[in-house]
Amino acid sequence: MRIALLTAIQLVNILILPLLLVGIIRKVKALMQNRIGAPMLQPFHDLAKMLRKSETISETASWVFIWTPRVGLAVAVIAAVLIPWSSVILPLDWASATNFLLVIYLLALGKFLAMLAAIDTGSAFGGLGASREATISMLVEPTLVIGIGALSLGAGSTDLLAIYAARTSPFIAVLVGAALVLVALAELSRMPVDDPTTHLELTMVHEAMILEYSGRSLAIIEYATALRTCIFLGLATQTLFHAWPSYHDLPMLVRYTAGIAAVMTLGAAVAIAEGVLVKLKWRSVPNFLAFATVMSLLAALIAAAQA
Amino acid sequence: MLCGAAVLVWLSVAVIGLLKRQQSGLIFSIPTIIGCALLLLAALVGKSCTMTFPLPWFLGSVGFSFVVDPLSRWFLAIIGVIGIPVALFSPGYLHHLRHRVSLGFVWAALVLLMTSMVGVVLAANALVFLVAWEVMALSSFILVIADHEQRDIRRAAFIYLGATRIGTAFLMAGFIWAHHVTDSWIFSEWGLAGSVALGPALLIFIGLATKAGSWPFHLWLPIAHPAAPAPVSAIMSGVMIKTAIYAMARLFVLSDHFVVPALGPILLILGAISAFWGVIFALLQHDLKRLLAYHSVENIGIIMMGLGVSLLGKSYGAPLLTQLGLAAALFHTLNHAVFKSLLFLGAGAVDARAHLRDVEKLGGLIHRMPWTAGAFVVGSAAICALPPLNGFASEWMLYQGFFGLAQSSPTVGLRLGGLLLMGWLALIGALAIACFVKAVGVVFLGNPRSQEAENAHEASKGMVAAQVILALLCAGLGVAAPLVLYPLGRIAAQTSSPSALHGAWTIPITLLALLLIGTVGVLAAWMHGLSRAHPARRFITWECGFGDLGPRMQYTAASFAQPISRMFGSIYSYAVEVTIKGRNRRHFPETVAVETMHEAHLETKVYSPLLRSIQRMAGVFLMRLQAGSIHQYLIYMAVVMGLLLWVGVGQ
Repeated sequence: MRIALLTAIQLVNILILPLLLVGIIRKVKALMQNRIGAPMLQPFHDLAKMLRKSETISETASWVFIWTPRVGLAVAVIAAVLIPWSSVILPLDWASATNFLLVIYLLALGKFLAMLAAIDTGSAFGGLGASREATISMLVEPTLVIGIGALSLGAGSTDLLAIYAARTSPFIAVLVGAALVLVALAELSRMPVDDPTTHLELTMVHEAMILEYSGRSLAIIEYATALRTCIFLGLATQTLFHAWPSYHDLPMLVRYTAGIAAVMTLGAAVAIAEGVLVKLKWRSVPNFLAFATVMSLLAALIAAAQA
Repeated sequence: MLCGAAVLVWLSVAVIGLLKRQQSGLIFSIPTIIGCALLLLAALVGKSCTMTFPLPWFLGSVGFSFVVDPLSRWFLAIIGVIGIPVALFSPGYLHHLRHRVSLGFVWAALVLLMTSMVGVVLAANALVFLVAWEVMALSSFILVIADHEQRDIRRAAFIYLGATRIGTAFLMAGFIWAHHVTDSWIFSEWGLAGSVALGPALLIFIGLATKAGSWPFHLWLPIAHPAAPAPVSAIMSGVMIKTAIYAMARLFVLSDHFVVPALGPILLILGAISAFWGVIFALLQHDLKRLLAYHSVENIGIIMMGLGVSLLGKSYGAPLLTQLGLAAALFHTLNHAVFKSLLFLGAGAVDARAHLRDVEKLGGLIHRMPWTAGAFVVGSAAICALPPLNGFASEWMLYQGFFGLAQSSPTVGLRLGGLLLMGWLALIGALAIACFVKAVGVVFLGNPRSQEAENAHEASKGMVAAQVILALLCAGLGVAAPLVLYPLGRIAAQTSSPSALHGAWTIPITLLALLLIGTVGVLAAWMHGLSRAHPARRFITWECGFGDLGPRMQYTAASFAQPISRMFGSIYSYAVEVTIKGRNRRHFPETVAVETMHEAHLETKVYSPLLRSIQRMAGVFLMRLQAGSIHQYLIYMAVVMGLLLWVGVGQ
């Protein structure tokens, strides 16, 4: 009974929350710009419409282009099941599958193919976006590994379930959580690293990469991106919650509601930030991500000193 | 016994090769494959033993002694596993070189190289080791210079010869020193510890590091490996440089022949620098084989980091760490052999069909060479350590080694070091992804950038089969990683404590691979269902409405790498030169040429001046010593003979 309920909740999480989050971000952003904006459920309608339409595939494209969205979504779904991003944890014996290095590299598999697919069509935009994506992930991945590594040092295990079940020093949790928020902005192509809503593909990263996609392929790419947004923001908020030692003693329902509410709030905060910030010059992106790296390094130093 | 049979089969190939220089491939290929299969059988089912063949008295008292144990069997397996696809690939590949290269000669040198590698990994004493090592160096030199009518190949071979000489000199000096201290040539009788061990150990290490291509002794590697024919590059990058890793594991990690605590940190630091250096320079390359050669420097660095973790664990008494580091290093040695030879064979297939290695002139080959492209994508994903392929399995073990270092080290510095090394490896992984997206994207995807690329067609059946076998191995070794831990566990049990590797492997990679395939399958079926009502339409790539999207409008390799290249500009000089010509340069230029250049500061500021000064000094001395006078040379000989006699009588 309990396991069925938890599975159902997790399923709802994975199916509904990502698109709702996108709706909230768009709505808040519209309000910031003095617009009424589309209804919050608009992303669901968009998705349904795109799934019904046929797609156009470039003549230059190969199987890489066709299979990439499918692998990308599969990877995102598996990561969403494995990562404890919403404090809903299925009571199954799979802690070892939630190894954070495995999850990071699994997501990297999706990114690798996405970059290849961008180049596959022979369009200059794709190459440009892929090159920038490669640069950003080079800046992001060490930070991610060192940060979560610092967290895992206290837990004595690199499995995410064990990490988020153990008690860590609040300093480490806050530092890593803040680093994760910054990393998420870059990783998910949000402001101030990438502006997903300009009309000029030349300035974009993610949108430039998926420029050639349409119809149902675009639909699953959009959904996978929304899901990844949810996962990353969820991971960041869970890490921040982790700083509060008695968080684990709260009843499950409270934790779950707080987790979801926090993801949505963080999403709204991202939207507000996108309303007030300008996009960084491409050359200053490393400086922005350096903040995250330094926070991770500090967390690593504290963790190494305490272990 | 089986090894002996394999060597005999190979030597017969060598004899045929020398007798019939222009035979077609199969007469060589099939016996070579049989030899490799025998070797593989020996590695899998053979028993551990030692063999000694005494020599006639005038050759000394040491004799040919060989030892077969789990470690040498691991390396025998690597030689066999890579040998088979290489032998399958070679006939098709060498065909396009038939007018420039003596085929029989190449085959003879190739099997000699494989034989000598078997000798190196089986040698039980320093003299046999050195003889095999020298045969290995010389036979690979012959292979590098095979296509000797080209000037850059002669230059590359010369540099390679110089590097192997220097390496062997260090190795020999170290062995002689160790012999001087222990009065024995037999490895198992060496037991040096403390300050006595430092000198010989460092000399031997430098000799081995030169062969392995570790930073800062790597200079020859990206020059020599691309110059050789592709199957030879595959053997050299995949297997030959690993013999140095074998010797490091044998002499420093798995035994107490040299107890030098400083070696652990040295291996870790040199490995960390090599790994970064290799990948960042690979990103700058436009020659496909040179790019791959730099990745060998990277992966040797990763392997050395594993050995370093193992040595550190040994020096402060953490058996699990010792085994984990060693197992990660050895597993990565096998994995790198598989995916690197796959990638080199892919580059060779492209070279044979498009006659080009400059990535900026390729493109769109995925439509013309679908099998080669598919295998190359798999190999690229494997070298980028993407799950569920084999590169991930060994790098994951290395991550666990670093994590163990962070967890159980006695000092804060080492614990922090462990965490930072995890980040370092992640950085290297991300750079490798960038590099291989560039390589695959520019070579295989998009539109062809030259007539040659447009006219390319799929490689011959043997060449394709070789690549497919290796690609399947990449997937198989990754998914079945827990099985690979059995032989690794036997090697780990050669350290002083029983194997604990199975407890250290925790991730259910097989299940995850199945889950991934299943999810992708379900999604694909669903998409297929959707496409029945609204089939997909094929149309040109969007060209902003201007029409005629030319291949030159695609992103180039240089532009792809530019953001990262600029970021690390402090270790090399990176310059982009733009030349615009024409009467009205501003609005209607006739030609626009962009060229990127890079030169490592290590090469321009350290090695070049050093070499120049050596050359100058050598010029002054050699001119007097070698003046061309026969009388002078006769005096040299007489003096040396006299000296030798004096030394001999004195003993």
